[in-house]
Amino acid sequence: MTKYIIRRFIGLFPTILVIITISFFIIRAAPGGPFDSEKTLPKQIQENIEKKYHLDEPVIKQYARYMLSIIRGDLGPSYRYKDQDVNYYIAKSIPNSLFLGAISMIIAVVFGITAGMISALRQNTWIDYLSMSVAVIGITIPLFVTGPVLVYFFAMKLNWFPTSGWITGRYGWTTLVLPVITLSFNNFAYIARLTRASILEIMRSDFIRTARAKGLKTSVILFRHVLKGAMLPVVSYLGPAFSAVLTGSVVVETIFRVPGMGKFFIQSALNRDYTLILGTVIVYSVILVIMNFIVDIVYAYLDPRISYK
Amino acid sequence: MIKEKSAVLPVNEFNQPDKGVSLTLDAWRRLKKNHMAMAGLVLVIFFILISVLAPVLPIYSYTEQVIDHQYLPPSLTKNAGQLYYERTLGQMNALAEKEKRDLNQEELAALEQIKYRIANETAVINGKEVKVHERRYLFGTDYLGRDMLARVIYGGQISIAIGFVGTITSVLIGIVLGAIAGYLGGKVDYIIMRIVDVIYGLPYMMLVIIFMAIFGRNIINLFVALAVVSWLTVARVVRGQIMSLKNSEFVEAARSSGASTTRIIFRHLLPNTLGVIIVFSTLRIPTFIMLEAFLSFLGLGISAPLASWGSLVGHAVDGMNLYPWRLFFPAAAMTLFLFGMNFLGDGLRDAFDPQGKNKF
Repeated sequence: MTKYIIRRFIGLFPTILVIITISFFIIRAAPGGPFDSEKTLPKQIQENIEKKYHLDEPVIKQYARYMLSIIRGDLGPSYRYKDQDVNYYIAKSIPNSLFLGAISMIIAVVFGITAGMISALRQNTWIDYLSMSVAVIGITIPLFVTGPVLVYFFAMKLNWFPTSGWITGRYGWTTLVLPVITLSFNNFAYIARLTRASILEIMRSDFIRTARAKGLKTSVILFRHVLKGAMLPVVSYLGPAFSAVLTGSVVVETIFRVPGMGKFFIQSALNRDYTLILGTVIVYSVILVIMNFIVDIVYAYLDPRISYK
Repeated sequence: MIKEKSAVLPVNEFNQPDKGVSLTLDAWRRLKKNHMAMAGLVLVIFFILISVLAPVLPIYSYTEQVIDHQYLPPSLTKNAGQLYYERTLGQMNALAEKEKRDLNQEELAALEQIKYRIANETAVINGKEVKVHERRYLFGTDYLGRDMLARVIYGGQISIAIGFVGTITSVLIGIVLGAIAGYLGGKVDYIIMRIVDVIYGLPYMMLVIIFMAIFGRNIINLFVALAVVSWLTVARVVRGQIMSLKNSEFVEAARSSGASTTRIIFRHLLPNTLGVIIVFSTLRIPTFIMLEAFLSFLGLGISAPLASWGSLVGHAVDGMNLYPWRLFFPAAAMTLFLFGMNFLGDGLRDAFDPQGKNKF
């Protein structure tokens, strides 16, 4: 097992390297430089700016310079905001994004598994139909529709929650409700459906019949035998779920004006602030890659059929 | 006649003519029994018909701006002139009430003038002289006085087209690479599958966002960006199918009679995996529409004056308290279509694969 973990961990680095390289060269291949603006600057000034940010060097040298500074943990200066560097902006915004993402993920998993379990155990009753209808809605409607519609009804018409803002603002914790619902709805729906389907499948299998025939209590069968097996597909869905939360947070942070990294990411992409884009993409990828790694390990741990050599 | 026919057909043990049923026909029969899938099919056909027929339907142009008609609410009974007059009257009354007075001479004169304009003003639209204020907006208008009904229909046209064309492109790339990897195996397989793995691990939506922001927002770039990242799963599915088929007798027979590798892949193996591919593609279309809408929502997809459902929803978010119809109509249209596609896709999967062998 330890060997497997170490091997997988070493495998993370090439992926991160590929991501940084691809993003770096996409950005360098773009027509026009980051300092092109409406008014043309005098040639000397333009050259001085390019010299300051080493843009006059060959691309390979710039790449090497960038990689070296990343290894030192420095994501470079921002091209647009002169007062602080990329590290500062990311450090300032990432706790908010992580907090929002983590809460949404936990809520999606807890409620999704509960709803799926209830549906499976009360198959073909009203509660099953209800939760599966909600799940179908959650899978179908994209979150950039859910978000504005929730804001319209629950913030503007019913006035239950604020339309936007963050916990540090004057509305406090109530600002979290709508963004978290929006961000977790999709994943909740997927997890509920997966849980229901896999519980139903396992309930029909031979080893459950054996357990019943031995006279085990229903609760023991359910928690010791059924749930353990039923969690495997759910765990393997967690990887894509993390990635959905990551991309989704970009939209949710835009709709609800959360001061998180997603907002910075979109803004810097639109501003062509090259170093800030690269910085946010690298941080996003590292988070995603590490999450996938953890999910893989948990999966290998849970599934006795996987041999980790 | 009948006797002759039954003599030709094979007969089963109950002495009934045993007609061969093709896989497709069998699947179609199962699909017809699935009510949700049929409802989905009807919805999808309805949307596609409307999109295709958009140029000949009696709707307004989606770019035509009537500045007097900004933000008119949807109405089935009143025409634009009445709504425009009511709104101006309402605004004047509100102002007068605030200042605790009746309408003054100036305002009454302005109202008279609006009445006159409503009755007489004409404009040339599409080469025809029409009375502007007799237009009817079933879905209301947007911030430039454009008809929302037309924008939702034309937006749907673009969204659906992107969904289909994008899916076909990515499925073609996926089929070719997946088939090559699956049939040839060895080093080629290893390289292609490692590329797939690496791209899977990327936060690819982030890369697509960067690509769109930097290379400019047009349809071609959108296609390239989305197609490059969405062939992966198809490649995996096709590879799996091909690998399970490539050692079967009919491939051996083809090979021994001297068929080339290309011929075996494209004439013998791929047709046998077509069912799976079609089902998979149907399931991909909603994802593709959602990806495009996601980018357009952020302002990185389709650019004005073109519209897609995503960009319509995106523009509607500002001011949705006052003009909720701008949000609800495109959102409802998109949601309905996605529902239809999802039910149809699930139904097709169950119909082609009743034992659930290939749950992707």
